[in-house]
Amino acid sequence: MPTRPLVTRYEDDLKLLPGLWHKAGAVLGLAVALSYPWIVSTRWLTVGNLGLVAIVGAAALMVLTGFAGQVSLGHAAFLALGAYTVAVLGVKLGWPFWLALPLAGGVSAFVGVVIGAFALRLKGLYLAIVTLGLVFLTQHVLLAYPELTGGLSGTSVPMYWWFRGESGSAPSVGETWMLGSVVLGFERKLYFIFLLVAGATVWLTKNIQRSNSGRAMMAVRDQDLAAEVLGVAITQAKLQAFGVSSFLAGIAGAMFAFQQQYVTVEPPFDLNLSIQFIAMIVLGGVGSVFGAVSGALAFTFLSPLAETVGHSIPLINQLTSAQQSTVLLSIIVVLVLVLEPMGLFGVWLRVRRYFQAWPFRY
Amino acid sequence: MTQLLQLSISGLALGASYALIALGFSVVFRASRLFNFAHGELLSLGAFLMTALVDVLPWWLALLASACLTGGLAALLERTVLRRMVGRPVFTTIILTLFLGLLLRAAIVIAFGTDTRGMPTPWESMAEVQVGNATVLLSSLVSLGATTAVLVLLHALVQRTPLGVAMRAASESQEVSLALGIPVGRVLAFTWFLAGATAAVAGIFLGMFPRSVDSNLGYVALRAFPAIIVGGLESVVGAVVAAFMLGLLEVLSQAYVNPHLGAFGHNFHAVFPYAAMILFLVVRPRGLWGEHEVRRV
Repeated sequence: MPTRPLVTRYEDDLKLLPGLWHKAGAVLGLAVALSYPWIVSTRWLTVGNLGLVAIVGAAALMVLTGFAGQVSLGHAAFLALGAYTVAVLGVKLGWPFWLALPLAGGVSAFVGVVIGAFALRLKGLYLAIVTLGLVFLTQHVLLAYPELTGGLSGTSVPMYWWFRGESGSAPSVGETWMLGSVVLGFERKLYFIFLLVAGATVWLTKNIQRSNSGRAMMAVRDQDLAAEVLGVAITQAKLQAFGVSSFLAGIAGAMFAFQQQYVTVEPPFDLNLSIQFIAMIVLGGVGSVFGAVSGALAFTFLSPLAETVGHSIPLINQLTSAQQSTVLLSIIVVLVLVLEPMGLFGVWLRVRRYFQAWPFRY
Repeated sequence: MTQLLQLSISGLALGASYALIALGFSVVFRASRLFNFAHGELLSLGAFLMTALVDVLPWWLALLASACLTGGLAALLERTVLRRMVGRPVFTTIILTLFLGLLLRAAIVIAFGTDTRGMPTPWESMAEVQVGNATVLLSSLVSLGATTAVLVLLHALVQRTPLGVAMRAASESQEVSLALGIPVGRVLAFTWFLAGATAAVAGIFLGMFPRSVDSNLGYVALRAFPAIIVGGLESVVGAVVAAFMLGLLEVLSQAYVNPHLGAFGHNFHAVFPYAAMILFLVVRPRGLWGEHEVRRV
């Protein structure tokens, strides 16, 4: 029976993979992730790539909202900053993606920490509205400098392996590689790069969750006044949450830009994008890394399914396909919130408890 | 001087619609402790109902009917979905109302289509009147007058009638009110009805020339947020005053600030209130009229 090993030491409680079953799950997950691009069609490979982007973005929001309890509607602004940073670095300077990617996170993190400093005194709804304002301000700034960002018409996002240099050309990730009989197209290469980034993100956020700084964030979330009295540095914890969250959000935005190869300001970087990420962490279950990953995957894989299903439902089939998936996902999110507040993580806990006690009901 | 007067009147007229929106947010927040992000869709629902009802009813009756229908829907939303959220974290209610808003928007698109409609008015829709040297739209003056009348009536209702006393008591403490025999459930329903009805009126006046009614009308509510925050979520009066200031600020900055900023100034008036709000909150994090919270651990 998959039971949790008896915890006798503090270190056991903090282990990354506490038991045999966790290790088996991790190996299984890795095997599925590695074989996925070889067995699915191009359409679902694209969905998989978007899913990996969503994992990074949702994990970013999970740090800020799930761990530190700071409700943010401004996630789209940080993604936009990351996306436009890699676009500008690629088009103007011809930098390779592996250098532009962390820099995109850096730019976004800088803005995040500045906003975080502003937001230190704000709580709950006030913070939500201020971060909503950040989305509008970012949109305005991006549209106001068309020589850098292309304005309304947008900009392309080149993805190079190496510096473009004087010659004006560099090996691009877009080229298809042939290794013997193995074909590595753009989407497939992207998948492995994204898998690496997403894996690193999950590892990072999981480590934050089980370390000192993560516990400080959760103390701020649960009862900030009590946390302060007990000696938790509230300011530091909040700023850390803002910094890590916006860094990862910038990286997610950059990944999204690379995947799309061409970005405009609106859509996608508007309030709806922020709402989608909130929906992901709600679907998954607020407060756990597992929730962020499962919510992000559930949301991305449900969207194309919802479009397929939407065609056959009366009334709803009058809408555009994007609206159809919005409606069906909204219904799902509302139902989850009303009926299962813990999200997929809650469902998983219930399933696990059932099997742990089996054949008894309790 | 003429231009300033003209702009001030149209700014106040815009502010009047913002005031109705802010009022709706504020009474709902005081009663249910949640911020209703679906409010904007109630606004556009009211406007669309008006464009449909005006074909079968006289104008004033259509106005009344669409306000009542929208209010009824708001009360229904509260009773069926949002009352289950009592005691859940702020976060949950924010997301729930955001998604209810998305659903409402889709319902509006299904029912009324995506075409842009003109808002019918009993007077010539582009009629202008002379105020001093300035020429202003008749619609602006009517919306200013009607909003002021609604605000005065509501103030009287809240301050002078037993129902108003019950509303104030319920927003102060629901448990004590229940113990004193106030039907808190019905008071809540009425509060939401009021919010929905005022939203519909705001939507109808916002849909008039020079603007029009389309499925994006609900986004206007997002632009009223700075007023609600600066006025202080707790204070209805503060929100209304700040809403008038917001309308003025938006119209005046469009005329006097935008041209000085070059390319950056294009559409700057749309985000200027948000920038002002962020700076303001740094100085006073709980708004202009917000009370300082005393908390126990």
